[in-house]
Amino acid sequence: MQTFSDVYRHLRRKQWRQYALLAGCAFFSTLLITAYACMMRSPTILTVLPEGGDSRKQVMMVFVLAVLGCLVFTTYAAGLFFRQRSRELGIFLALGASRQQLKGALRRDLTVIALAACLAGGVLGAPLSWCVWTLFRRFLVDSQEMALSFDPVAYGLPLCFGAYVLVMLLFLASRSVDRTNILDIIQESHKSEPIRAVKRWYGPVGLLLVAAGVALGNLMPSVFVRVFHWYAPSVVTGLCYAPALVGLYMFLLHTVVNGWGRRKGYKNLIATAMMKFQGRQTVRNMLVMTLLVAGAYFASFYAPMMSSSSAYSFEQRPVDYEYHWRGDQDLPEQDAVLALAAEHDVDLTSWAQVTAATLGRDGSYSVERETAFGTTYTTEYTQLLKGATFFSESDWNTLTGQEVDLRPGTCANVLDDEGGSSYRSGGDVAVLTNMVTRQTLRVTPAEPLRYTMLLGCYVLDDGDYAAITQGLTELWTEEYVFFNVADVEASYPFAKALFQEIIACSGPEVEVADYYDLVGAALAQERGEPYAYDPQQAAARGLSVIDYDDSDSSEFRAYWLYMPQFRVLDQNDFATTMAVFLMLFIFIALVCFAAVIVIAFTRSMTLALTNARVYDDLRRLGAPPDYLYRTVKGQVSRVFQVPILVGTVLIYAFYGLIMYTNSQPAGITASEGAGMLTCLAVVAGVTLLLYLVYRLTLRQVCAVTIYRKGG
Amino acid sequence: MMLTVENLHKSYQVGKTTYEVLKGISLAVDQGEFVGVMGPSGSGKTTLLHCISCYLPADGGRITLGERALADLDEAALAAVRNQQLGFVFQDFLLLDGLTVRQNILLPAIIGGAAGPGAEERADQLCQVFGLTPLREKYPAEISGGEKQRTAVARALINHPLLILADEPTGNLDSQSSRRVIDAFQQARAALGATILMVTHDSFAASFCDRVVILRDGVVWRVLAKGEQDRVHFQDQLLDVIRDMGKE
Repeated sequence: MQTFSDVYRHLRRKQWRQYALLAGCAFFSTLLITAYACMMRSPTILTVLPEGGDSRKQVMMVFVLAVLGCLVFTTYAAGLFFRQRSRELGIFLALGASRQQLKGALRRDLTVIALAACLAGGVLGAPLSWCVWTLFRRFLVDSQEMALSFDPVAYGLPLCFGAYVLVMLLFLASRSVDRTNILDIIQESHKSEPIRAVKRWYGPVGLLLVAAGVALGNLMPSVFVRVFHWYAPSVVTGLCYAPALVGLYMFLLHTVVNGWGRRKGYKNLIATAMMKFQGRQTVRNMLVMTLLVAGAYFASFYAPMMSSSSAYSFEQRPVDYEYHWRGDQDLPEQDAVLALAAEHDVDLTSWAQVTAATLGRDGSYSVERETAFGTTYTTEYTQLLKGATFFSESDWNTLTGQEVDLRPGTCANVLDDEGGSSYRSGGDVAVLTNMVTRQTLRVTPAEPLRYTMLLGCYVLDDGDYAAITQGLTELWTEEYVFFNVADVEASYPFAKALFQEIIACSGPEVEVADYYDLVGAALAQERGEPYAYDPQQAAARGLSVIDYDDSDSSEFRAYWLYMPQFRVLDQNDFATTMAVFLMLFIFIALVCFAAVIVIAFTRSMTLALTNARVYDDLRRLGAPPDYLYRTVKGQVSRVFQVPILVGTVLIYAFYGLIMYTNSQPAGITASEGAGMLTCLAVVAGVTLLLYLVYRLTLRQVCAVTIYRKGG
Repeated sequence: MMLTVENLHKSYQVGKTTYEVLKGISLAVDQGEFVGVMGPSGSGKTTLLHCISCYLPADGGRITLGERALADLDEAALAAVRNQQLGFVFQDFLLLDGLTVRQNILLPAIIGGAAGPGAEERADQLCQVFGLTPLREKYPAEISGGEKQRTAVARALINHPLLILADEPTGNLDSQSSRRVIDAFQQARAALGATILMVTHDSFAASFCDRVVILRDGVVWRVLAKGEQDRVHFQDQLLDVIRDMGKE
C-alpha cells in the first residue's frame, strides 16, 4: 500500500456494507421508478387511460408519490453514508490530506456508484415490469389489450433521477469535506440530530389540518367550478391538499417526540429518547412511508372496488338482457333471437320491445375562456342543445314493468336505481324539438324516475309523445328490447353469439362512441361545419374510437353508444374487459408496498446500527435481554406501525369521503358499500402481510443489536 | 522557538450568545521540549490545541510553527503543515479500523506521498521503539487501548514532525496503559528528538513534562517549570497549584 488511492481502495473493500447500502438504495429507487415509468408511458396503458381522465390522474398521483418517496429515501441513504464515512474523512484531514485529495477520491467512488446503481436499475426496470405483467397475464387474467409494449420516452424520468442521484451525491460529498472545523467532521457520526421542542398541541392541530386538507382537496375543485365557474389548474387544486401534508408532518412529529396518551413513567424511556434524536430524518421517512402506504392502498382498492361494485350492479339489474339500436339499422328481432336461443338451448321467459324517439332538447352550455389564472366559463341557454332518448309512458311501463302515469305537459328524467344523478342523467328539460318537422313542445319537469339501465332517458305523457314524434323518420327512432332467460348463468354462449350478431348487423354509421350526438351532428351539418365528435374528428382529438373489430376491448365495451347490457356477458367478461385497469393498479400497489417494505426494513436496520452503542451501554448497565428486546421493539414498531396505521386509516377515510361525495345526493350507495367492505378485507390481508414483515425485521434488528456475537 | 503563540483569541457562537474561550493566550515551546497544558474544564486548553493544529481557525492572534505563520497559509499549505510538520495524538486514538497497526502508522506518509521502503523501515523502527512489533498486522479492534494509543504516537512520528500535539492522550486509559504511553512520549523525545505539546487533566502525566502551562478562563494563569526537581515533587507542586486555583 503505497499511495492514498491504495489506502482508499483498501478501506472501501473493508466497508463494502456502507457502499452496498447506498448503491442498493439508489438501485432499488431507479428500478422502481423505471418499472413504474415504463408502465405509465406504455402505449398499452395510455390507450386505456383517457387523457385527463380520473384513472390517469390517480395513477399519476401515486406515481408522483412513489418518485418523491424514492427521492427522500435515496437522499436519506446518502446522508447516512456520509455520516458513517465522516470519521474516516475527518481522520484523513487531520493527518494532512487535502480537501481536494479527498473530494477527488469521493467523486470517483460516488460517480461509479451512482452510474452503476442507476444504470442497473434502469436496465432492469423494463424487464421487471414485463415479468410482473407476464405473471399477471399467466396467472390472473389475460386479454388482447394486455399485450405490453414500451415507449423509449419512459427512460427520460429514470435518466433525470440518475442525474439527481449523481449531483446530490457529489454535492453532499463536497459539503461533508468542506466544513471548516475538522473535529466536526470526525465527530459527525456520534452527533444526534438536534430537535426543537414540539408543543403538545402539534398532534391535535396536525389531525385537524389533515382533516381540513382532505376535505378542502376533495371539495374545492367542485366549488371552483360551480361557484366561481373556474376550472382551476391542477397546481391550485393540488395545493388545496397542502394543509393535509403539513398536518401529517405535525402529527408524526408529535407522535415521535411526545407520543400520545399519558406519560407511562419510564416504560418506553430509552426507545422514545433514541427516536427523539433521530428527529427530522425519522419523521421525514415516516412521512414518505405514510404517503406510500396511502398510495399503495389507493391503488389496491381499485380492483376490489370496481369488481364488487360492478358485480353488485350487474346482480341488481331487473332484466337479464337489454339491447337497443337506431331505427335505420336492421338488427335481430324476436324471431331471430328465439332461433339463436334455440341453437344454444336457451329458453326466453319474457320479451318486451318498444320504440323510443331521439328528440332535441334545450339546456345550457359552457362558453370557456382562457385567462391567466386558468379556464373560466359562462353558461348560455339554447333551445336546441343536444339530443336525448324519449319514451312514451305506456312504452316505458311495458319495458320496465313500472306503472308511470305522467300529467300532460310534463317530462320525467330517469336517474339511477337509488335516485342518484350524474353527468349522464341529463337533468330537467323544458323544450323538446322534433328534428324532422322542427315542431317544439314545452314541458315542465316531473318527479324523476329510477332505472339505472336507462339512465339519462326521458319519459313523456302518451299524448305529448304522440304529438311531438309525429313525422319522425327511422333515423330519429330507437328500438329497445328487454328479455329474460330461464337460466341466465348457462346462457353465456348465447349472449356472446347475440352480441356478435348485433355487431355484425350494425352499420358503420353507428360505429360511434357515447359522446356522439345525432342532434349535434345534424346541427353541425346544417351550419356547414364538420361535427367535432364525428369519429374521424374525435380520433384526431385523442378521444376513444370505436372499432367493431375490437369488440372485446374495454374501450368498446365502455363507450359504444349502442352497447348492449347482457348480465351474464358483463359478469363473465368483466375481468378480461377491465384487465389492463385492474392489473395496472395491482402493479402500482405492488410497487408501492415493495417500496414501503424496503424503506421500513432499511430504516429499522440503520436505526439499530446507529444506536448499537446505546444497546452495548444498556447491557453494561445490567439490562436483561427482555428489557433490550422491549427497547428494540419500541423503536422498530414505531418505524413500522405509525406510518402504516396512519396511512391506512387516512386513505380508507379519504376513499370513503370520495364515495360519499361522488354521487348526487351525497351518500354511500349499496354498491359502494359492498366495495368498501371488500377494500376492508384487502386492508386486513395486507396488514397481516406487513405484520409478518415487521416480525421478520424485528428479528433481524435483534440479531444485530441484542443477540450479536460478543454482545 | 519551535512554536510561538501570541495573543490568541477564539470565540464560539451558541444561538445568540458568544462565548469567548481564548482571551489572548501567548506561549512558546522550544525545540525538543515536552510541554503540558492543564486547566479546569472550559479553560480553553483543547480549543488552544485545535487552533494550533489548524483544525479551528483562530479569531485573532498569531501562531508561528518553525519559521512559518500559520494564518498566512492557504488550505493546501495548511494540509501540508498538518501532514509534514505536526503529529497528532487524540484521546480516542482516531485509528482507522480497516487498517492494520502498521498501515495506520504509515498513513501520514502515504497521504503525503512519501510512502516507500524508507517510510516502511521507519514504521518498523517505530513499532520496535514502542513495543508494537508483535502487533503490526493486527487491526485496532484486536488490540488494547494502551496499544492503540502507542500506535497513535508512532503514527504521529512517522513524518518527522516539528511538533507532536497530544489531546488528553491518557484520558481513556488505565494507569498501566497511561504509563506506557507517557514512556512512549519520553522515548520519542529521547530517541527521536520530538517536541511535544500535551493537553491533559492528569497531574501524573503532566509531571513528566519539562514545563506545564495552566490555563484558567481562557488566559494563561501560571507556568510551572520542572527544573531540577524530581517527577514526584513536581507532581506535588502541580497538585498544590491546582488546589490553590480551586480556592480562589
